[in-house]
Amino acid sequence: MVTYLVRRLLFMVPTLLGITLMVFMLLALAPGGIGASMQAAGGQGNTTGIAQQQAYLEDRYGLSDPVIVQYVRWLSRISPIKFGQRDVRTPRGERISIPRPIPDPSLTSVFPPPRKPQVVFTPSTGDQVIPEFKLLQRDSEGSRREYVGSMRIFRDALADVARVVGPPLVGRLDGKGGAKPSDFDDLLPVLIAAQESAAREAVSQPSVQATERVRQLADARLKLFEAVHSMHTKWSRAEETRQRATIAFMANPYPQSGVPIIPDVITLDTSDFGVAFSKNRPVWDLIIDALPVTLLINLIAFPISYLIAVPTGVMASVRKGNWFDLLTGVLYLSLYSIPTVLAGVFAIGFLANNQYLGLFPVSGLHATTADAMPFLPSRDVAGVWQVGWLGDLLWHVALPVLCLTYGSFAILSKQTRASMLDNLSADYVRTAKAKGVPRNDVVVRHVFRNSLLPLITMFVGIFPAMLGGSVVVERIFSVPGMGSLVLDAISNNDRDLILADVLMIAVVNVAALLVADILYAVADPRVSYE
Amino acid sequence: MQPAVHKSPMGESLLLNRPVLEVADLAVSFDNASNPGGPRIQAVAGVTMTLFPKQTLAVVGESGCGKSVTAMSAMQLIPRPPGRMDRGSILLDGNDLLSMSEKQMLSVRGSKIAMIFQEPMTSLNPVYSIGNQILEAILLHQKLTPQQAVERAIGALEEVGIYNRLKERYQNDLVALTKNKHHLLAEYPHRFSGGMRQRVMIAMALACQPRVLLADEPTTALDVTIQAQILDLLRQLQRDRGMGIMLITHNLGVVAENADVVCVMYAGRVVEYAPVFELFDRPMHPYTRGLFSSIPGLRNEMHRLTTVEDVTNNPAEFRKLPGSEKGVIPWWPHMPVEARPKLAHERDAYCLHQIEPNRWVGCWRTPELEAHASPKPSLDFRRHDESSIMPLGSR
Repeated sequence: MVTYLVRRLLFMVPTLLGITLMVFMLLALAPGGIGASMQAAGGQGNTTGIAQQQAYLEDRYGLSDPVIVQYVRWLSRISPIKFGQRDVRTPRGERISIPRPIPDPSLTSVFPPPRKPQVVFTPSTGDQVIPEFKLLQRDSEGSRREYVGSMRIFRDALADVARVVGPPLVGRLDGKGGAKPSDFDDLLPVLIAAQESAAREAVSQPSVQATERVRQLADARLKLFEAVHSMHTKWSRAEETRQRATIAFMANPYPQSGVPIIPDVITLDTSDFGVAFSKNRPVWDLIIDALPVTLLINLIAFPISYLIAVPTGVMASVRKGNWFDLLTGVLYLSLYSIPTVLAGVFAIGFLANNQYLGLFPVSGLHATTADAMPFLPSRDVAGVWQVGWLGDLLWHVALPVLCLTYGSFAILSKQTRASMLDNLSADYVRTAKAKGVPRNDVVVRHVFRNSLLPLITMFVGIFPAMLGGSVVVERIFSVPGMGSLVLDAISNNDRDLILADVLMIAVVNVAALLVADILYAVADPRVSYE
Repeated sequence: MQPAVHKSPMGESLLLNRPVLEVADLAVSFDNASNPGGPRIQAVAGVTMTLFPKQTLAVVGESGCGKSVTAMSAMQLIPRPPGRMDRGSILLDGNDLLSMSEKQMLSVRGSKIAMIFQEPMTSLNPVYSIGNQILEAILLHQKLTPQQAVERAIGALEEVGIYNRLKERYQNDLVALTKNKHHLLAEYPHRFSGGMRQRVMIAMALACQPRVLLADEPTTALDVTIQAQILDLLRQLQRDRGMGIMLITHNLGVVAENADVVCVMYAGRVVEYAPVFELFDRPMHPYTRGLFSSIPGLRNEMHRLTTVEDVTNNPAEFRKLPGSEKGVIPWWPHMPVEARPKLAHERDAYCLHQIEPNRWVGCWRTPELEAHASPKPSLDFRRHDESSIMPLGSR
C-alpha cells in the first residue's frame, strides 16, 4: 500500500506538469498576450506610457523568449529545487531574489554604449541595513523599469526614422512596423545621404513638400538621438543601482531562505508563484485567501448531496417502480436540467431580494460587521440572541451551496439506484435471505455495501465538476473563492495567477482521485494495491 | 410398531420415520411479464413429495420443470409478486411453512431449513470475510457470545474439511494451527477456489443444524473430482446429523450415487416417484425411460442417441404400465388429444397413481383412477439399512 501511494504521488508530478504545460501553451497562443486588457483599458492614455508598460511586462516575463523557455523559467520558480544564489526572506515571508542582470544596451553597433559603471559601495550596518536595502531595491527596480521603457522608445524612434527615410530602411521593418536594431548597422550613412539629398532637392526645387521632408528627417533624427541618449543614461543609472542593490543583497540584510544542498548552487526551497500584476499581491497570498473559501463551500455541498441522494436512491431501488421512485426520479431530473446560472439568478431574485422573501444575503461571505461577532451564536449584552460569526458564514453560503448541490442529486441517486438494482438480484443476496437475514439488513448490510464502488467512482467524477461549477456560483454570489480569482485572472491575462490557480485546482482534483482509489481498497477487499 | 428414535448430535429426539418435510399439492404461478393480461405461467402445478430424516430425495428433471421453484417455495424465497402460491402446503415437522408470516419465516430460514445453491462463485458476498458471513448465520439464530459463535464457526468449517490442508501443515504445532484457523475466518471469498467456496456455503448452511437441507444443484458448477468430494461431504454430514436432503440435480449419475428416493418432474408435475434402485432398474414413465436412454454410453458411440422425444413420441411406450388396458396411462402433456384416454374431469387431467406399493407414476386422471384415490407419495426408504435405525457409520 505504501509503495502504491508513493508511486501514485510520484505520478502526480508529471500529470501536474502536463496540465501546466497545456495551460501555458494556451496562454501563449491567446491573442494580445499579457497586458492586452491593459492596452484596451488604457485607450485614453498616451501611447508611450502604454508602450513602456508593455516593455516592462515583456522584460518581467521574458516574453521575447520562446514559449518553452518561458515555461522552463516558470517551472524553475515553481520547483522546490532552486539553482544559483539563494534568496532571502523578509520577516513577512516575502522572498527576494538577487537582482537580475540588466539587458544589454548595445542594440546596434551604430550607437556604442557608454562604459559600464563600476560602483564601489559599502552597505551601512546596524539599524540602517534593512531600510537601506529596501530603498536600493526600489531604486533598482524603478530604474530598470525606466530603462526597459527607454529601450522601447529607442526602438520606436528607430522605426520612425526608417519610415521617414523610406527605402531601403523601411523594408527592414517587421510586419507590425517594429524595428530590430541590429538590422540597422548602416543607418547613419543612409540617413545622412537621405538628409543631404532632401536638402539639395529643397534648395534646387523649393516646394512645401521638399521643405517638410527636410524637417521630418531632422525631427526623426533628433528624436532618435534623444532616445539613444536617454537609453544610455538610464542604462548607466540602472546598472549602477543594480550593482548597489546586489552588494546590499550579498550583505544578507534578511536571513537566507531554503535549505542549501550545495551552498549558492542548489537549494531546496518552497515554490515561488510570483506576484499577480493585476492585483499587485503575491499569488500565494491570493490563493491562501481564496482556496479555503472554495473548499468550504464544496465540503459543505458534497456531504449534503451525498446524504440526500444516496438514501433516496437506495429507497427508490428497494421500491422500484412505486410512487417514491417515480417522484424522486422526476424531481431530481428536473432539478438537474435547470442551469446553475439561472438557478443562481432566481435564488438571488426570489430568495435573497428584499422585495421578495429576503431570507438570505445577496452576496459575499460575511456581513460587514462579522469581524466583531463572537464565533458561536450567543446572547449579547441586551440578552438578544446573535447569530455569531459561524452562523453568519453558514447563512451566507446557504444559497451558493444550494446552487452547487441541486444538480448532483440526479446523477448520484440514479447511479445509486442502478447499482443497488444490480446487486439486489445477485446470488449472495439470495444466500443472505436463505440464512434468514431480515430484509432491511439484506439491503443495508449486503446490497448497499456492494453498491458503494460506483458511488466512489461518482465522487471522482463529481468533485472536479463541482469545483468547475463553483466558478459560476462564486461569480454569481460574489464569493471570493478560487472561481472568482481564476475568472479575474483570465480576464486580465495574469499569467502567474492563472497558472497557480490551475495548478491548485489540479492538485485538489488529483488528490480527490487518490482518495477515491484508497476508498476503493477500503470498500472492496478484492481491490488490493500490494 | 413404535417409531424408531435416534438421538441427534444436538440431543433432541428425532423420529426417523416421521416425515420432516412434506410438500402436498403445491402449485406456484408467476405473472406473465411479456403478456401482463394473459394467463399466468404455471411453474409448479400440484407437486407432492415427502422427505424423511436421513433421506436424500433427488429431484430430477429438465430446466424449467419446477424443481428450484419447489425448493424456493419451501424457503418462501419466491418474490411475491410476481410469484403466487395457488394452493398446497409445505409442512416442516408438521408446521405449514406457506402459512407462516415473514417474521416467523426468518426464524425458520437458515435455522431449521437451509439451502445451498448452484453458483459457489457468486453465492458468497464478496465484501465480507467468510467468517463474518458464517457468524451472521450463527448469531441470527442462536444466542451465543461472540467467542462461542467464533468457536461454532470454526467447528462448522472444520466439519466441511476446510482445515484439512492446515492440519497437514501444522500437525505438531497446535498453537499455529489455532492461529491459522482464526486467520482463515478473516479471508475473503475471492481467495477461495470454487470447491472451497461451496464448502463454505455448506458450512454456513449447516452451522445452525437445520433439519432439512435444500441443495439446489450444489455441484453443477464444480469439476468432477470436487463434485464427488462435496457429495461425500454432504452424505457424511447427513449421517452425523440425521437431516433430510432434497438434492436438486440434472445429473443422473449424481442421483444414482447419492439418492435414496427419486422424484422425476416434468412441466411442474411429478411424473415418477420411486426408490432409486427400482427407478434405475425399471423406469415406468416413458419420460423417465427417455431420460435414461439419452445418456451417452461408452459402448454405443457409433449410434445416434435415443432422445426423450424418440421415446415419448412412440404410442407403444404409453401402453406398458400394468393395468394399461384398464386406463392406467402415463400422463404426458404433449400426447395428441385423440390418443389421450377419457378423463374423469376435463380440467383436472393429472393424478399421481400408486402403481406398486412403493412406486408412483403420473397418470391421466381416468375415471378408473379417480375411483381408487392413491395415497400421496411417501417412501421411508434409505439405500442403506432403512428399517432398523442403527447408529450410522456402520454401513
